[in-house]
Amino acid sequence: MSEDAPFDLDALAARLAAEDGPRLWRSLEELADRPELRRLMEAEFPDVFEASSVDRRTLLRLMSASLALGGLAACNGGDAGSHAPLLSQSRNMPGYTPGVPVTIATSLPLNGFGRGVLVKSQEGRPIKIEGNPLHPASLGATDVFAQAEILSLYDPDRSDTPLQDGSPRRWEELTRFIRPVRNELVVGEGRGLHILMAPTSSPTLHRLISYTRELFPHAQWHVFTPIDDDARRAAVLDGFGRDLDFVYDLTQADTIVTLGGDLFAEEPGHLRYAADYQKRRRMRDRELPRLFAIETRPSLVGARADERIVLRPRDVDAFVRGLAASLEAGVAPAPDVHPSVPRLAELLRRAGPRCLVVAGREMPSEVHALALAINTRLGAFGTTIRAIEPVRPIIDGAQTLHDLAKAIEADQVSHLLVLGGNPAYTAPADLDLPSLIRRVPHSLHLGQHRDETASVCRWHVPETHPLESWGDLRAFDGTVGLRQPATMPLKPALSAEEFLGLMAGQTVDGQGLVQATWREVWGEGFEARWARSLEDGVVDGSALPSIDIAWRSDWRPEPAAPVSSGGIDVVFAPDPSVWDGSYANNGWLQELPKPLTKQVWGNAALIAPETADIFGISSGDAIDLTVEGRVIRAPVWVMPGHAPAAVTLTLGYGRQQAGRIGNQIGFDAYAVRPSRRPWIATGEIKVAGQRIPLISTQHHHALQGRDIIRVVAPGQDTPQDSDDRPSLYPEWPYEEHAWGMAIDLDACIGCNACVIACQAENNIAVVGPEEVAKGREMHWLRVDRYHSGEPADPSTYFQPVPCMHCEKAPCEVVCPVNATVHSSEGLNDMVYNRCIGTRTCSNNCPYKVRRFNFLDYQGTDYTPSADAMNPQVTVRDRGVMEKCTYCVQRIGAARAGARVEDRRLRDGEVMTACQQACPTQAIVFGDVNDPDSAVSRLKKDRRSYALLGDLNTQPRTTYLARIEIPAEEG
Amino acid sequence: MSSVAQSSTSPVADVALSRRFGSMWWIALLASGALVLLLGYTLISVALLGVGVWGVNIPFVWGFDLINYAWWIGIANGASLFAAILVLRRHDLRTSVNRFAEGVAFFAVICAGIFPIVHLGRPWLFYWTFPYPATFQVWPQFRSTLTWDFWAISTHVVVTSLLWYVGLIPDLATLRDRARRRTVKRIYGILALGWRGSVIHWAYHQRAYRLVAILVLPLILVMQSTVAFEFAVTLVPDWHETRQPLHFVATGLAQGLSIVLLVAMLLRWGLRLGRYIDEEDIDLLGRLVLASALVSGYLYLDEFISALLADGLTREATISRMTGSEAGLYWTAIVYSVVIPQLFWMKAARQSTVAGVFVGFSIGVGIWFDRFSIIVGGLQTDYLPSIERTYSPTLVETGLFLGTIGLFTALLLLFVRFLPVVSMFETRHDEHQEKSS
Amino acid sequence: MTQRLYGIMAEFRTPRALTEAVRAAQRSGFTKIDAFSPFPLTDLARELGVRTTVIPWIALVAALIGAALQYGSQYWMNVVDYPLNVGGRPLNSWPAFIPSTLIVAILWAGAATLLGLLLILRLPRLHHPVFAVPDFARVSEDRFFLCILSSDPLFDPDSSRRFLETLSPEAVREVPACG
Repeated sequence: MSEDAPFDLDALAARLAAEDGPRLWRSLEELADRPELRRLMEAEFPDVFEASSVDRRTLLRLMSASLALGGLAACNGGDAGSHAPLLSQSRNMPGYTPGVPVTIATSLPLNGFGRGVLVKSQEGRPIKIEGNPLHPASLGATDVFAQAEILSLYDPDRSDTPLQDGSPRRWEELTRFIRPVRNELVVGEGRGLHILMAPTSSPTLHRLISYTRELFPHAQWHVFTPIDDDARRAAVLDGFGRDLDFVYDLTQADTIVTLGGDLFAEEPGHLRYAADYQKRRRMRDRELPRLFAIETRPSLVGARADERIVLRPRDVDAFVRGLAASLEAGVAPAPDVHPSVPRLAELLRRAGPRCLVVAGREMPSEVHALALAINTRLGAFGTTIRAIEPVRPIIDGAQTLHDLAKAIEADQVSHLLVLGGNPAYTAPADLDLPSLIRRVPHSLHLGQHRDETASVCRWHVPETHPLESWGDLRAFDGTVGLRQPATMPLKPALSAEEFLGLMAGQTVDGQGLVQATWREVWGEGFEARWARSLEDGVVDGSALPSIDIAWRSDWRPEPAAPVSSGGIDVVFAPDPSVWDGSYANNGWLQELPKPLTKQVWGNAALIAPETADIFGISSGDAIDLTVEGRVIRAPVWVMPGHAPAAVTLTLGYGRQQAGRIGNQIGFDAYAVRPSRRPWIATGEIKVAGQRIPLISTQHHHALQGRDIIRVVAPGQDTPQDSDDRPSLYPEWPYEEHAWGMAIDLDACIGCNACVIACQAENNIAVVGPEEVAKGREMHWLRVDRYHSGEPADPSTYFQPVPCMHCEKAPCEVVCPVNATVHSSEGLNDMVYNRCIGTRTCSNNCPYKVRRFNFLDYQGTDYTPSADAMNPQVTVRDRGVMEKCTYCVQRIGAARAGARVEDRRLRDGEVMTACQQACPTQAIVFGDVNDPDSAVSRLKKDRRSYALLGDLNTQPRTTYLARIEIPAEEG
Repeated sequence: MSSVAQSSTSPVADVALSRRFGSMWWIALLASGALVLLLGYTLISVALLGVGVWGVNIPFVWGFDLINYAWWIGIANGASLFAAILVLRRHDLRTSVNRFAEGVAFFAVICAGIFPIVHLGRPWLFYWTFPYPATFQVWPQFRSTLTWDFWAISTHVVVTSLLWYVGLIPDLATLRDRARRRTVKRIYGILALGWRGSVIHWAYHQRAYRLVAILVLPLILVMQSTVAFEFAVTLVPDWHETRQPLHFVATGLAQGLSIVLLVAMLLRWGLRLGRYIDEEDIDLLGRLVLASALVSGYLYLDEFISALLADGLTREATISRMTGSEAGLYWTAIVYSVVIPQLFWMKAARQSTVAGVFVGFSIGVGIWFDRFSIIVGGLQTDYLPSIERTYSPTLVETGLFLGTIGLFTALLLLFVRFLPVVSMFETRHDEHQEKSS
Repeated sequence: MTQRLYGIMAEFRTPRALTEAVRAAQRSGFTKIDAFSPFPLTDLARELGVRTTVIPWIALVAALIGAALQYGSQYWMNVVDYPLNVGGRPLNSWPAFIPSTLIVAILWAGAATLLGLLLILRLPRLHHPVFAVPDFARVSEDRFFLCILSSDPLFDPDSSRRFLETLSPEAVREVPACG
């Protein structure tokens, strides 16, 4: 449009919408001084201009807060502007200096629950995410998904313009569509309007939902997530007569039994649980806790457990009945019980209230009920379990996805509003949701991507990334964490809150909406609390209180269903890399080796070695898996420790419209997921006689009797062999600091958080499937996974392997150009611009932790936006060797800070990225010159040993042996 | 105008001076020229895209690049060593063999020299190995075997080429004097540096030539050991062996001899030089080849036994190289470099051109597989099972290898075309001594 | 005889003839003589009083200089100019410095010897009076020449020519000096 054309918000918004993200900021800068914009601002924010001293910066903030929504702003009748800054308080704090990163406390959602994080933002660009130590679900740690949100934020495939029937529309066109529709819905009190969204813990969303329901009383709400907890909920309703959530306290537990699921990876509080379990193990005054995993598919908790009991899903019920029976938990004794039931029962009885039985979400409600019955029987409630109000409250009258499907079939749905999520992809196949949605006359999808759902809805509206918008989330224990933007919107988009606000006739200013929520709650002293909550990232004292509940005295489990003998049990599970598929377009996560298989860029059907032998197949052989008449072809992965006659499918792959990275990778397990039994189904396997290559980063899993992983009994020493190794070489003095690391194999649960944290911190390239298949992945830190014992039920060990920073580094001696040398603090430095790429250093590294840029890995489709890069870390060129630096940039920053304050570095002041991300504090970094530093103390521990110590390279990274209770002690 | 002499060595000179030179030669030159183009193509693709176009990965950071390097340098060193020994022993064989043995060495070292540069991740910075403060005033790292190797290769190139040239001067003078066409006369004249056969000059020339030829002896031993050190000094279980230098020197000599034999046979047959490279020489060469093959055989045996005696991982590694997934390489090496040469127990085989070519070729192949087996097979077993991978070469790598073979052949063809392939003055000298004695 | 001469040259068929001619010339007191042959005649050279022992000395000295320079520079670079902690090895890791020292010693010895040789022989010298002698081209194949240089005190064009003719050569020719 020409300069002199009449200027209105719609047009401006449209123009901004046409701009791509990074340029948004600049375009604002340019616009800020233009007269027509000042006019516009006066019109939009008169209150500000009354104050009449509007500085350029405030202006920018005001604009960014609402420009992206400009088009819609017009349609809900003149929305009052807000003075509030887009970015956090801390960003505007006095003393903010350009170039110095700012930390912003916020919360990130996973399956509707919040995890508190601290976002490191450089000049308004988020570059790194850390856990928020104040947040109960994090305690400073992060999981892989939180780490990877940075890459999702900068995902170039994120949707940035509204779509009508797949073709881009300007924002005001959307406005023109919505205005009449909304009015007619208001008139019709929402008849025919159905709203589909995922369960959420956000108080603001729930407030807006209730407003919307007042406005549209006849509107029907549907709640759906592919990762549902319906079975547990059913059991709770049955046993307690009301809806509840549970919070476990593993620090109190002596005997823990998990039935399927993964307490350390898939529960809403998984980070906290992993941390607490390790905390419990570290309690010297109490004897080690016992952890038993009864499971079909190997899990992180199973790998850490003292004992795994491998059962087919269909046998778990009988097992738990036996357990419950022998604990007199109101169950009739079963005829034949599993051999290890009595021992387990004995241990549970001994533990008494300090017992904990947890059933995974894939278990049927009977199993959940039995687990709760046992917990109640032994009085675990109050010690190891707390019951709280559901963190994700049920919207009363809300229906399921089936009901929506039925309603559409009955042509009762005239308007469908899909708020977030990607149901067209994640819905069970037998609902055939995509074609149903197509039948709805008016459908609108709010989502971050032009995904499968966007393509079946008439309209698609871009949704903001959680790091861009305002909101609030409750953690697994109910603690509220405010969600504040860590950046200006990279793309013009709306958050779910804003969209609902719009529908409910509220402001579309996300911040306003959230503030309104908490003004209601807090009333007096709102301002102070608001400010503090933003600073802390948590609303203190907001954790939901325990509530007294009584287990129905007359509760009796339904009689055990006869165990069918035929078929193969098919278990569905969230994927450790892409969860339910929402992370499919995230290169970091796609290339992240799955903890137990080390598979990357794809999924596989996990089967037991025994099953593989029966069918005469091996990893990579394709099978045709039939479930309730639907067939998929999938490559199998022979997984030691998997239950026989069962197959595990992880969700989230086979995406068609994920984006340039996530499309056509792996197979879509939803395609055979039955809506009635979404977690455990029965199916048939047929060998397809085809091979589908699987990509893995680790090909050998046996320890081959080598002294790599050490295991000790409680209180026992590892053979101390490191002292008596004479060396011909002189001792090099390190006056100031001498950095070292200790990795506790007893604490490591193999969750991969360290790997992806390292990738995010150090700008590590994503090389893509082809290159990984050639063995060229770039991770500086890898987690080796070893099996020992029977393939049917092996012990599993994880071993994070960063650079060892050997005192007598063999890599340095063979470099012809001094490109890798020792620093004055004993770091094994890699000098990129000195390296000519002979690769002989890698040859001479016994740990093979060095990574080489065989090609130009920073200029590929997989390369993230430059904005996502950590400016403190060099982006490596082609033909250059690279490796773990102990996060030398963090050491440098800390040292500089200490110099400014003219003091020595404190112990723990320097945290490596891997260390900071670790939920169990398995990684400790520090100054080995300081005898009192945490790392020095650990290196003096009796469990401490050096990997390949007999090579006498004197590694600075050492390990602590894993502690295992010898089997005979039962 | 002086009358033109017809001495015993005239035919050799006339080969170089003749105007026309058989179509076979042209065909051969075109063929090898095509391979040189292939070499250029592969080099460019590596330079533009990076070494990722090869099958290399972690831990197999080296593939054909180092295999071929070790192979070519082995040929170069073997041939030089052989030539040097002959000179040292003042052996009659030298008159007939030295010239092209040194030639073979020189061309092979040129082919070898390509790889240390092209195998770099950033080949355009290869000169950072020169002792000058490149980045941040940092010097090269002299503890690195690669730095040793840099010095070894450059020394090898300088000394062998100088030696070869100085040996050529009197024969260049002959060509100058026999040449009819003015331009040809000019060219050879310049190359001959105005050699006029003064008895005094001869004396100095002979002394210097012999002395440097003897200097080459230790040079070659050190250099071939340096190549071996590139593997021996690493911690890789199968490589970290004191026996590596011995293995490389001995197999290198076998390799050099075999290629010399191969070339000798081809020259004899192609240029009808039976008179200069006579039955006796060939027979002697054959015996030497056989002997060297036996030495390699002995070393393989020693490798096997010392592996059995070695500690856990080393044993495991070496055994897995002999029996593991890459065992094929190892056994191919033994069959070609040890078993087949046993033909030479038969005099008939030693005399026959076909057999000579075949055996010479097969030893070359065998040692190439030996290097393959060491560099790839040796990495099969490492300290941490988690990092074990596989390596499979790509077409680009293969093209690179064929390309260097083309380069070598092309250089050899040009050599036989334009230079005397046997030392004429040495031949005259011998004949004179035979007469006088 | 107006033209200045470089010397007078006699041509022979066999090395023996040349050798005897040289001996005869020496007997009759000529000191500035030179002999030419298609291949080395070591004994004759000795009779002409050539001592080549300088060659090994060049090699030895060059080798020592080269070795000293190489080890010296390695020491200086690693210990003095830019000391670096490389793999915890001592700054002066002498065992690791030996190989290149050895190699460079050979490099210097070899190069110095061969280049030194050319220096001693005053080569390259593309233009020389003897080349003007007809038939001299055959010196590089099958003919042997003896030349009495005009710089010889006993040299006299006629007597020297007569003397040479007494040695029953193929031919005796004057070698004109270059103008």
